[in-house]
Amino acid sequence: MLELRRLTKYFGGVRAVDGVDLTVAEGEILGLIGPNGSGKSTIINLICGLFPLTDGEVVFRGTDISTLPPHERVALGIARTFQNIRLFGQLTVWQNLWVAQKARGQGRGFLRGWLGGSRHDRVAIDKTLDFFDLGHKRDELAGNLAFGEQRRLEFARAFAAKPSLLLLDEPAAGMNAEEIDQLDARIRQLRREGVTIVLIEHHVELVMSVTDRIAVLNFGQKIAEGTPAEIQTNPLVREAYLGTQTAA
Amino acid sequence: MLDLIDALQSVADGVLFGATYALLGIGFTLIFGVMHKINLSYAAASIGAAYASLLLLAGVKAPPVLVFLMAAACGGVIGALVYFVAFRFIPLANPLATLMSTVGLLLLIDEIVVHATAGVPLNYPALFSDVVIRAGAFNLRGDLMFVFALGCVAMVLLWALLYRTRLGIATRAVSQQPVAAQLCGISIDGVNILTFVITGVLGGLAGAMTGAAIGVLSPLLSLPLTVKGLIVTVIGGLGSIPGAIVAGLLVGGIENVVQFFRGVSERDLYVMMLLFAFLVFRPGGLFAPAAGRD
Repeated sequence: MLELRRLTKYFGGVRAVDGVDLTVAEGEILGLIGPNGSGKSTIINLICGLFPLTDGEVVFRGTDISTLPPHERVALGIARTFQNIRLFGQLTVWQNLWVAQKARGQGRGFLRGWLGGSRHDRVAIDKTLDFFDLGHKRDELAGNLAFGEQRRLEFARAFAAKPSLLLLDEPAAGMNAEEIDQLDARIRQLRREGVTIVLIEHHVELVMSVTDRIAVLNFGQKIAEGTPAEIQTNPLVREAYLGTQTAA
Repeated sequence: MLDLIDALQSVADGVLFGATYALLGIGFTLIFGVMHKINLSYAAASIGAAYASLLLLAGVKAPPVLVFLMAAACGGVIGALVYFVAFRFIPLANPLATLMSTVGLLLLIDEIVVHATAGVPLNYPALFSDVVIRAGAFNLRGDLMFVFALGCVAMVLLWALLYRTRLGIATRAVSQQPVAAQLCGISIDGVNILTFVITGVLGGLAGAMTGAAIGVLSPLLSLPLTVKGLIVTVIGGLGSIPGAIVAGLLVGGIENVVQFFRGVSERDLYVMMLLFAFLVFRPGGLFAPAAGRD
C-alpha cells in the first residue's frame, strides 16, 4: 500500500533519513522504533509531505506522491497524529473533527462540503467521538481538555479524515497504563475496520503487543525489520538501544 | 446645555461613521490572523474598489445600492490580486518582504487612482441622505445610519461565515495551527485566497461607505484610512475581530468629539495619543486574548 524507496532527507549536513526502503502492506500494523533522533518522526513528516524530499520516492497505492502538497495526500487517505499535540485549541472538540472530516469530501457539492455538511457527516462525527470516549466533551474548547483527552482527540481527528493509512506519532506518550490499554484496544479495532497503521512508539510493550511487523531505525538508517519476536532478539537492535538509552 | 447636546450628537455621528473603521480594522486583523502578515495596501485597495465601482458604472445611471454592491465585488477581485501580487510568490519567512511589497502596492493603487481620475475628487452616491431621524434633541443622519447598518450586516455575515460554516472553521483552524490544518486536508493557499477575497469585499464596502458618508472619493483618503485602520487594529488587538469592531466605533466617536471641541486640525493628534496610551498600557489591545497561538 505504501512504499518508501531510498527515502532521504538532509537538514543542512545532518542526514536525518538516509536511504530508507520500507513497505507497508494493506491492513497491517507496522511499528517504527529507534532511539531518539533516529529519524522516525522525519519519515512520518516526509510521508505527509510536510517538507520536500532530498532524494527518493514515496509511493502510495502505486502512484508516486513525492511532490504532492500535504492536503492532497490527506485527500488520498493518509492521516496522522502529532507527537507534540497540535489541536485547534480555540475550536470545540466537535469542530476539530468537523474540519478534518472535509478532507475526503471530494465530489460533494460546495455547499454540502464547505457550508454545512450532511446529516450523515454529523452522525459520523458523533460516533467517532463516542468511540474515543469524548462524546461528553463535544462542545468544550479543545484547548481546555485534560492532557489524556487531548491525546485522544488528536487520534479522533486523524480518524475523522477517514484514512486508509493512519500514521500515529507516539500516541502513548505521557499516558498511564490504563490509557495505554484503551489505546491498544482502539488500534486493534481500527485494524479490524481495515485501516492500515504505522505506529511510532517508545512504549515497548505496546509496540510488541499490537504490531505485526517492526522496522528499527538508527541514525537515519533502517537497521532491522521483522516480527516483534525477531526484533526482540536482534543483536543490532540491542546495541542501538543500549548505546543510547542506558537507563531504559 | 446646548453644547452638551451638540457634543453627544458629534459622538453619535462619529460612532456611526466608525463602522467603516471597524470594517477596515477587521480586514487588517483577519489577514494578520490567518497569515501573520500586515497588508499595508488594504485601505488603498478599499478606496480603489470604491473608485472602480464608480468608473465601471459611469455609463449607466446605477442606483446607489448597485454601486455599493459593485464596490464590494471589486474589493473581492482586488483582494485576490493583492494576494497574488504581494504575497503568493514572496518568501513568507522574511517578515519584511511582504510588508514592503504591500507598501509598493499601496503606492501603486494610489497612482492608478490618480491617473485614472486626474486626481479630481469624484462624487459618491449616498442612500437616505435626505432622511433625518429626530430622536429627542438629536438628529440622526439617514446616510450615516445606512452606512452603520450596512457595516453591521457585513459584520454579522462575517461572523456567521467564520463561526457557523465549515469553511470559516477551516479558516480559523489555519490561523490556530497551520501545520495540523494542512494535515486535515485544508489547502493553506486556498484559505489565504479566500481570506483576501473576504477582506477585500469588506474593504470595498468600507470604501463605498466612506465615499457615501463624506460624499466624495479622493485619492487623499487612502493614507489617512490606512493609518486609522492600523490604529483600530492595534487598539482592538491584532487578530481580534470583536476588538476591531469596538475599537473602530471607539475611534470614530472619539475623533468626532475631539473635532467638535478642538477643531479638525487637532483631531488626529488625540487619536494618536489614544494609540500611544494603548501601546504603553495595553499593548495586547482591548480584549487581549487569554491564549495566543496554541
